[in-house]
Amino acid sequence: MAAFGSFALLIALALAAYNLLAGALALRLLATGQPARISPERLADTARRAGIAGFAAISAAAFALVWAAFTNDFSITYIMEHSNRALPLAYKFSALWSGQEGSLVLWAWLLGAYGFVLRLTHKTDVKLYAYAGAILAGIQVFFLVVLNFAAPPFALLRGQIPADGNGLNPLLQYPEMVIHPPLLYLGYVGFSVPFAFALGALMMRYPGEKWIKITRAWTMVTWLFLTAGVFLGMHWAYAVLGWGGYWGWDPVENASLMPWLTGTAFLHSVMMQEKKGMMKSWNVWLIFSTFLLTMLGTMLTRGGLVSSVHAFAESSIGYWFMVFMVIVAAVCIFTYILQRDHLKSEQRVESLVSRESSFMFNNLVLLAACFVIVWGTLYPILSEYIEGAKVTYDAAWYNRVSVPIGLFLLFLAGVGPLLPWRSTSFKSIRRNFVLPVTALWVAVIGCLLAGVRPWHNGAFNLGHFYALVAFGLAAGVLTAIGSEFWRGMMVIARQSGRNYFWSVLQLVRRNTRRYGGYMVHIGVVIVVVGLAGSAFNRSEEKELALHDTLAIGSYSLECVGFTQDSNANYTSDYALLDVRKGGKMLFQMTPEKRVYLVSGQPQTMVAIHSVPGWDLYVVYEGTNPDTGQPIIKAFLNPLVSWIWAGVLLMVLGTLVALTPKQWTVNSGQ
Amino acid sequence: MTETQGFVAGVLLLIALLVYTFWPENVSASQLEKTRLDYLLERKDQLSENLRDLNFEFKAGKYPEGEFEAQQAQLENETARLMVEIEILQRA
Repeated sequence: MAAFGSFALLIALALAAYNLLAGALALRLLATGQPARISPERLADTARRAGIAGFAAISAAAFALVWAAFTNDFSITYIMEHSNRALPLAYKFSALWSGQEGSLVLWAWLLGAYGFVLRLTHKTDVKLYAYAGAILAGIQVFFLVVLNFAAPPFALLRGQIPADGNGLNPLLQYPEMVIHPPLLYLGYVGFSVPFAFALGALMMRYPGEKWIKITRAWTMVTWLFLTAGVFLGMHWAYAVLGWGGYWGWDPVENASLMPWLTGTAFLHSVMMQEKKGMMKSWNVWLIFSTFLLTMLGTMLTRGGLVSSVHAFAESSIGYWFMVFMVIVAAVCIFTYILQRDHLKSEQRVESLVSRESSFMFNNLVLLAACFVIVWGTLYPILSEYIEGAKVTYDAAWYNRVSVPIGLFLLFLAGVGPLLPWRSTSFKSIRRNFVLPVTALWVAVIGCLLAGVRPWHNGAFNLGHFYALVAFGLAAGVLTAIGSEFWRGMMVIARQSGRNYFWSVLQLVRRNTRRYGGYMVHIGVVIVVVGLAGSAFNRSEEKELALHDTLAIGSYSLECVGFTQDSNANYTSDYALLDVRKGGKMLFQMTPEKRVYLVSGQPQTMVAIHSVPGWDLYVVYEGTNPDTGQPIIKAFLNPLVSWIWAGVLLMVLGTLVALTPKQWTVNSGQ
Repeated sequence: MTETQGFVAGVLLLIALLVYTFWPENVSASQLEKTRLDYLLERKDQLSENLRDLNFEFKAGKYPEGEFEAQQAQLENETARLMVEIEILQRA
C-alpha cells in the first residue's frame, strides 16, 4: 500500500501543477487574445479536468493510508507511530489526522473535495471559476509538495518491523475526536474557496458583486464547519482534559478562533458590499487575512512552532508554511496594488448611527479580538526570538482583554438589527430601542435581586460584574431580535389574515438569510449566557475512603465502591459515587481513570451530570500514593449546557440562512 | 499489497486519470466576458431587493414616514438612472 499511496501522491502533485500552469496559461491567452496552437478554452478545460483527476489521486492516497491503518501495516512509520492492533476501528480511521503527515493528507483531500465540487459547477461563471480553480490548484501544489518531499505519510520504517504499533494518543481516543478534527479542517480548508474567488475576482477585475453571491454558500458552509469544529473542540476539552473548564486559551485553540473571528467579520461586512457596493477593499483584505490565518493555524497545529496540549504532531515543516504564507501575502499585495482602482466604494457611510456603521464597528471589534489573540499566541515566539526568553500570557490575561471586547460585540449584536440603513433619527432610535433597553434593566435588576452581585463582603468581583453585564445585555439583545421577528410577523399576519405561526414561518422563508442570521445571533446570546455562568464555578477536592462523602452545592457524593476493568486497549479504575440531594438518592456517577496498555499513558474520563442550571462534573484524579485512597474532585459549573444549546441554534440558524429565500404573494411585496 | 502490485495499481491510476484529463471534447465551455449590461442588470436586481426590504421594514414600523420616503426616493432615483443606461445599452 505504501508504494501505491506514494505513487498516488506524486500523480496528484503532477495534476495539481498542470491545473495551475495550464489554467494560468489559458487565462493569460484569453486575456491577451494571443494566437496559440491549442484553443485557450480547450486548455482551460484540461486544466479543470486535471483538478478533478487530482482529487481522485488524493482520494486514492488517503484510502491507502486508512487501509494501512486498518490492516495494521506497521512497515509504514506513520501507522506504527499512530496506531496499534487493539485500537478500535473508529480510532484507526481517526489515525488519519492524529499525526502531522496524515492531517496534511486530510487537508489536501478536503481541498481536493472542495475543488472537485467547484470544478463540477463551473458553468455558473466559467471565467471566474477558472481563476478560482487555478488559485486552488496553487494551494494544492504547496500541500502536495510538502507531502511528497517534507512530510511523506508513506515513509517506510527502517530495520525490524515491530509486531505492534505505538498506539493512538489517549487524548484522541474519545468519540468526539473522530469528528472534531475533520470538522475543524473542513472549516480551515473551506476558507480557501472564498479566498480563491476573491483573489480571482480581483485579478480579472470582475464587474459587480455577483462573485459574493456565488461564494456566499461556500463561506457560510465553511463558517458552519469551523463553528461546529471549535465548539466540539471545547466540548472535548471539557469532557476529557478534566480541569473543569472548556477553553484554556491554548495556542491551538486560539489558532481555530482567529480565522473564525475574521471569517465572521467577513460574513457581516460582505453584506455591505453586496447591498451598497461599499467596503470592497476591506472585504478583500478580510478574506485574504482569513485564509492566511487558517495557514497560520495549520502551521501552529502541525508545524511545531508552539507547545500545546493539542499540538499532537510537532516538526520543522513550519518553515515551509512560513515561506508559503509569505508567497501568498506577496501575491495578494501585488494583485491589490495592481487592481486597487477596481475596489472603489460606490457609496460612503452617511451617519455614525446607521446599519452600515454598526457593521463597521462589528468588524473593528472582531478584528481587535483577533489581534489580541494573534498577539497573545505569537508573543512567546516573538519574545524568545527578540529577548531570548519565552514569555507566555496566561488565561487571566486573555480573559481580561477579550471579555470586554466580547461584551461590546454582544451589545452590537443587539443594536445592529434595530438600526436602519443609511441614517437614523432620534425618533427612530427611541421607537426601536425602548423595549430592548427596558428588558436590559429589568434583567439587571432581576439578577441583582437574585443574588448576582458584583460585590461580595465589600469586595468588588470583576467576574461577577461581567456576568451581570452579560445577563443584562443578553436580555436586551434577545428582546431586540425578538421584536424584529414580532414586527415582521405582524406585517405578514395582517396582510395574509393567517395565524402567527404560519406568519413567522413565511417571514423566515421570505428572507432566510436575515432571519437565519438572527437565529445565529440568538444562539450566540445563549452561548454568552453559558460562558458568563463560569464566573460562579465551584470545586471541591477530597480523598474518599469507602462511604466517605464530599459535599458540593446542594449535592452530596458518597463513595460506595471502586472497581476495575480492562480490555485489549486499556485498563481502568472507576469510583462509584452515589449522588444525593437533601438525603434523597438521585443517581450514580462513575468517574474513570484509564491507563493505555501500549503507551502506558493515563487518561481521565470525566463523569458529567448535566441539567439546564448547572453541570455536576466529577473527576477521578488517581490515588494518594501515601494512603492508597482515591482522590475525587467535583465541580459545580453553572449554565454550561447553555453553551452547547446555543451552538445547536447557531448551526440551525446557519442552515436556515443557507436555504434559498422564497418571496411570497402575501408578504407585502 | 506488494510493492510491485502497488506500482502496477499506481500506473493504472495514472493512465485512467490522464485519459480523463486529456480526452478530446468537442465542446468546451466558453469564457464569455461579463458585459456592462450584465452588471447593470445585476445591480438593478439588488436595488429592487433593497427597495423591497425598505418597504417591508417601513410596514413593520421601523422607519418614521419621513425617513422612509427619503430613502425610497434615493433608491428609486438610483434605479431610474440604471434603467436609462440599461435601455441605451439594450438598444445598441
